[in-house]
Amino acid sequence: MVQRDLALLEKHGVTSLDDLPPEVQAVREGHVAQSDAFAYGLLPADSQDARKLPPNNGYTSKVRVLDRYKVIGFISSGTYGRVYKAVGVNEQSGEFAIKKFKPDKEGEMIQYTGISQSACREMALCSELSHPNMIHLVEIILEDKCIFMVFEYAEHDLLQIIQHHIQPTRHPIPASAIKSILFQLLSGLLYLHTNWVLHRDLKPANIMVTSKGEVRIGDLGLARLFYKPLHNLFSGDKVVVTIWYRAPELLLGSRHYTPAIDLWAVGCIFAELLSLRPIFKGEEAKMDSKKTVPFQKNQMQKIVEILGMPTKAKWPGLVHQPEFTQLQSISSAVREASQGNTGLESWYWNTLKSTGYPDSPPSANPGAQGLDLLAKLLEYDPAKRLTAEQALQHPYFTANGDRVTANCFEGMTTQYPHRRVSAEDNDIRTSSLPGTKRGGLPDDSLTGRPTKRMKE
Amino acid sequence: MAANYWASTQRRHWQFSRETLSEIRQQLEDEERALVQQYPLPDRRLLSIFFNQQLGKLGKKMNVRQQALATAQVYIRRFYSKVEIRRTNPYLVLATALYLACKMEECPQHIRMVVSEARQQWPADFIISDVSKLGECEFYLISEMNSQLIIHHPYRTLHEFQGTLSMAQDDISLAWSIINDHYLTDLPLLVPPHVVAVTAMFLALTLKPTQTGLQAVASTAVSLNSVSPMSKELPGTTPGPPNTQQKKVQHLVSWLAEGEIDIKAVVECSQEIISLYDIWEQYNEKTCKEQIVRFVKARGLDK
Repeated sequence: MVQRDLALLEKHGVTSLDDLPPEVQAVREGHVAQSDAFAYGLLPADSQDARKLPPNNGYTSKVRVLDRYKVIGFISSGTYGRVYKAVGVNEQSGEFAIKKFKPDKEGEMIQYTGISQSACREMALCSELSHPNMIHLVEIILEDKCIFMVFEYAEHDLLQIIQHHIQPTRHPIPASAIKSILFQLLSGLLYLHTNWVLHRDLKPANIMVTSKGEVRIGDLGLARLFYKPLHNLFSGDKVVVTIWYRAPELLLGSRHYTPAIDLWAVGCIFAELLSLRPIFKGEEAKMDSKKTVPFQKNQMQKIVEILGMPTKAKWPGLVHQPEFTQLQSISSAVREASQGNTGLESWYWNTLKSTGYPDSPPSANPGAQGLDLLAKLLEYDPAKRLTAEQALQHPYFTANGDRVTANCFEGMTTQYPHRRVSAEDNDIRTSSLPGTKRGGLPDDSLTGRPTKRMKE
Repeated sequence: MAANYWASTQRRHWQFSRETLSEIRQQLEDEERALVQQYPLPDRRLLSIFFNQQLGKLGKKMNVRQQALATAQVYIRRFYSKVEIRRTNPYLVLATALYLACKMEECPQHIRMVVSEARQQWPADFIISDVSKLGECEFYLISEMNSQLIIHHPYRTLHEFQGTLSMAQDDISLAWSIINDHYLTDLPLLVPPHVVAVTAMFLALTLKPTQTGLQAVASTAVSLNSVSPMSKELPGTTPGPPNTQQKKVQHLVSWLAEGEIDIKAVVECSQEIISLYDIWEQYNEKTCKEQIVRFVKARGLDK
């Protein structure tokens, strides 16, 4: 019986799944850390010898960072380590950003202490993912107890662009540019979510823009897969997303959060591109010595001031949030509401006016559709908040018969300054890592930006 | 891509044909001919059984979930497809693979914990108490795997299909254990995970064992092995399955017809698993251990 059925299948030419073309074939096929050919041969002669050594004789990298790249300066640093700008030498050509993960130090000697989970995630995810709106990983080099992730170089990031528009006086980022940035950002995010990856740290500084105006989502240090996790997401990382971009369900202690947290952050970024300042600029309550996660009252307050108090009617799951009772401590006064407008409506129109968006032509103004999209991204109930896919379908992107440009700088006269690179520190191999500082550009701490994340 | 097997590094870089895989291994052995001759090792599958048992013992103490153990097994197989085993301390590689797999499967264990458990598990002179050895081996593993650490497992397909096929809990458990067993073979480097899942379901339904479990399955192997691989026959009519069982199989087959599963691959995969159960009878833990200890000690790989 069975055999007959199977024979039938064969006769009717049951196609093998293997023959199916991959749904989304990687656009850039070479988009993996290192090719197998590379690992199997094609190595410098001395490294070949090193390869023969068993681990007990010491691990030696087959590739040396400095054989392939010339470091020209320091870009930025954070809890993870530092980022350098480099140019390729020998067969590599072009500009690169090299992220060097800080090894833990035990005394003065650098020791192997195990790679942080965040570095593991970033290495694995960047090796796997490939999309025009994701930062492109060139290779990963494990050398001298350090991890070097080599990325394509992006000249700008959204933080830098926003800062350019407040100097010397405030002048708006063109509406068409914002539309393009948002569309590209959402496209990259849709790709991540389709692949069950939560970014969990979207903010202007992590969104790069190339000199051709292409948006690239970067920094997957907090990203992780959310397909049937062995443990709930909360138990893994107690705190995710930089405070200003943190979704209300996270602030209220949600254990089983969803991709909607990334869409909230997109809403915050959209608002920030319009107003040139963070929309919910709360102060972070620090974790106490017992490492209990405090309720972020001030941040929640900032949200309520503009959006009003969340209600059970609009967000049925609200009462089940672990920190629900803490909401009582928040003043429900809406700062911005006036003349029958919701707080967000007032905030939006006031912002457009004060930033200086002209009323005409309509394409020069983000308009009513911009407000509608923003409101649906900054929706309290994560179940009702737009998904990346829905957001991309929003009429905002097609309003006035506009088309979204693939180059967000198209038609712009503004020239953004190049990324500031400090040439004073270009020794990528030094083990000493001076304090957190961003070369040339105002430091995160100087502009009062909250630090990225908890140290693991 | 993380959720799409078709675009994954697993499919693009770690799925080999049998021929390619044996060429890769042959090349490794050729480069180390003297070593290979000096230190004979058991059949790779038997060695895998040994590794898996050791890994299981280590994992159990730390309450590591099956999926992380499976990931560690794939890491070990990938690593040893690029590095000659006799150049390594397998105990260190095992512990390191588990440490890394736990991080990747989001159930991290502290490196000190892994090292101290490993020392208790194995004669302490095999694993040095210094965590830096394990940290260094982690660099080696990641480097050989080209940082391609995301593994697609058949468990997920099984999970997705069980509802569609309304399989009984017993059948699912059996399919689950068959999936566990496939990590002892080269199948993770040869076939896509969904083929393994389908094979496991097939075997669970058709080779339904009695109380003796493995034994029953192994005995069926004879009947399947006598079947020519090209005749596309599946073990559907082996020891007269009850009527209900036959219906389940039919259901599975018609469901397969709707989908687009590579039946030939399923047949080959079944044979691979059945021959594993066959060779399992030759397994001798002591022999494996002795042969490993010989080269580790002689070459000072435990230092």
